[in-house]
Amino acid sequence: MSIPSPDLDALQRWMQSVIVHAGGVHQGIVSADAQAEIPLPVEQIDIVINPSTSQSSLERLAVYSNAYKARLLEVLISEYPALVHAVGEEAFVGLAGSYLEEHPSRSYTLADLGRAFPAFLAASRPPSQTEDGSPDWADFLIDLAHLERLYSEVFDGPGTEGQPTLQTDDLLRLSSEEWLTARLIPAPCLRLAEYRFPVHDYATAVRHDQDPPFPAAQITRLAITRRAYMVRRVAMEAREFGALSALANGLTVGDALQRVLADRSVTIDDLANDVRTWFRNWAVAVYFVGVQ
Amino acid sequence: MPLPRLGHPNLGLGVGLRTVHFPHLLQHQPDVDWFEIISENFMDSQGRPRAVLEQLAERYPIVMHGVSMSIGSTDPLDQIYLRKLKALADAVRAQWVSDHICWTGVASRNSHDLLPLPYTEQTLRHVVERVRTVQEILERPLVLENPSSYVTFAASTMPEWEFVARLADEADCGLLLDVNNVFVSSVNHDFDPIEYLDAIPAERVVQFHLAGHTNLGTHLIDTHDGHVIDPVWELYRHAHHRTGGAATLLEWDAKIPPFPVVHAEVLKARDYMTAALTLPTSRESESSAPEVTVGRVAAVVPHPASIVLAEVE
Ligand SMILES: [Fe+2]
Repeated sequence: MSIPSPDLDALQRWMQSVIVHAGGVHQGIVSADAQAEIPLPVEQIDIVINPSTSQSSLERLAVYSNAYKARLLEVLISEYPALVHAVGEEAFVGLAGSYLEEHPSRSYTLADLGRAFPAFLAASRPPSQTEDGSPDWADFLIDLAHLERLYSEVFDGPGTEGQPTLQTDDLLRLSSEEWLTARLIPAPCLRLAEYRFPVHDYATAVRHDQDPPFPAAQITRLAITRRAYMVRRVAMEAREFGALSALANGLTVGDALQRVLADRSVTIDDLANDVRTWFRNWAVAVYFVGVQ
Repeated sequence: MPLPRLGHPNLGLGVGLRTVHFPHLLQHQPDVDWFEIISENFMDSQGRPRAVLEQLAERYPIVMHGVSMSIGSTDPLDQIYLRKLKALADAVRAQWVSDHICWTGVASRNSHDLLPLPYTEQTLRHVVERVRTVQEILERPLVLENPSSYVTFAASTMPEWEFVARLADEADCGLLLDVNNVFVSSVNHDFDPIEYLDAIPAERVVQFHLAGHTNLGTHLIDTHDGHVIDPVWELYRHAHHRTGGAATLLEWDAKIPPFPVVHAEVLKARDYMTAALTLPTSRESESSAPEVTVGRVAAVVPHPASIVLAEVE
């Protein structure tokens, strides 16, 4: 059989279909996508790819097929070290493989590769294993993945370094009227996340080469930001987190504090004390860059 | 007749900038001639990588080396990518901008691999036209590197060296001659690496790459994970004399040792700039990369595979 020399576009589409096929190059060649470009029985692969003196055409194509999977896997493994530790490398490879099948890269940068991985894990999670619906192992993995991705985005995204930030003095200068109607501008790197497990401690332990166990469920509220080009995360109790979230979402200081007061166990005096401490800490942590 | 190195300076002996070396570089400000960056790791960065780069660019010449232009793909050129590339080149006053003679994906996908092209008249016309477009957008000549490859196409009608030479002349672009890639491909595809080097238009060579590779017995893989072996150094010697010398860079991308080790490796290039064909005796010589057993194949990842990893307090 002789086939006319395939044109460049057909050859590229064919080769891509072959080397990204999850089942390997043999299955890639017989796949409908590849056959649509170059209709070719596997035995006649030499018509397209030359063998070398020490490798068959199939073996040579497999170099690209293996490299494709290994490279992308390596990227995900390095972006999600704590998740790899939690599920073990073998299970991680399985999850990542399914993810890459569903979300192949369409970006010029590998920094985008793992973007949808936490959402993929959430969408493909097994049914809850606890009878009372309390958080389980899958919830832990989803939360952990979410946090690790946040770390990447905060680390290399926009920050406040070299720019003016909100100082405690900026607030002291406001009249009490202005103060209650003020809106604070959050730092572009500030992320507020609520998790079902203390995933930050777990992630840190893994990054310090420890071997942390699966932790007990515990509501964990984190403020994650970047200061001096380093990602920082702080765990908060519910009221501080609530006030910070309300402010970061654009509520006025008055409305944000009103929300905290809705919790009847808080007295005005307690709140006033807390607010002073919070704002001092938030200024140091650079959660806000200015007043509106 | 173009000027030697297309008029670019010979920057001397440089090292690929890698984030693991940031602390060392900032603390010691080592006496390195120049740095090459992987463009994609910095063009979107608004964090530490970009800040460190800008700091280093104050002191050292910077060359940009990309892996995602996909100059040979039949997909349209990515205009957003090219605009970001130009913005970065302007910001760090890049000496020049390079990428590879390859395609990385088609149908909007990116394999993140440097995939080989069939060397035909059709491919040549296609790539020449795209190089011209890119040069207009970047407002500077593009410098293109010969890739390592693991297959050849039956459809090819000319050897790679002829394709590279004609591409450079017809598109009027520069060349980044990776002598390790020439060696890797010469073993994989059974050609004479000297014949390759002798076919390259010497005055278009703006830069050289040196790197280590992995020997799998039946073929070599361009892993950038070790020392440069002696046959590659000998090719470098040959290329150096043919071209009159050009900026030379060592790539080390996996199992990266401390910075002084990487720097010392590229400084060995001085030994090969002399005409005499005597091997230096002051160091251990490696005539070939040690053969790696087939069981480890899955772990052997060819260049490129680099991302920026978050630093968390
Ligand atoms: Fe190279």
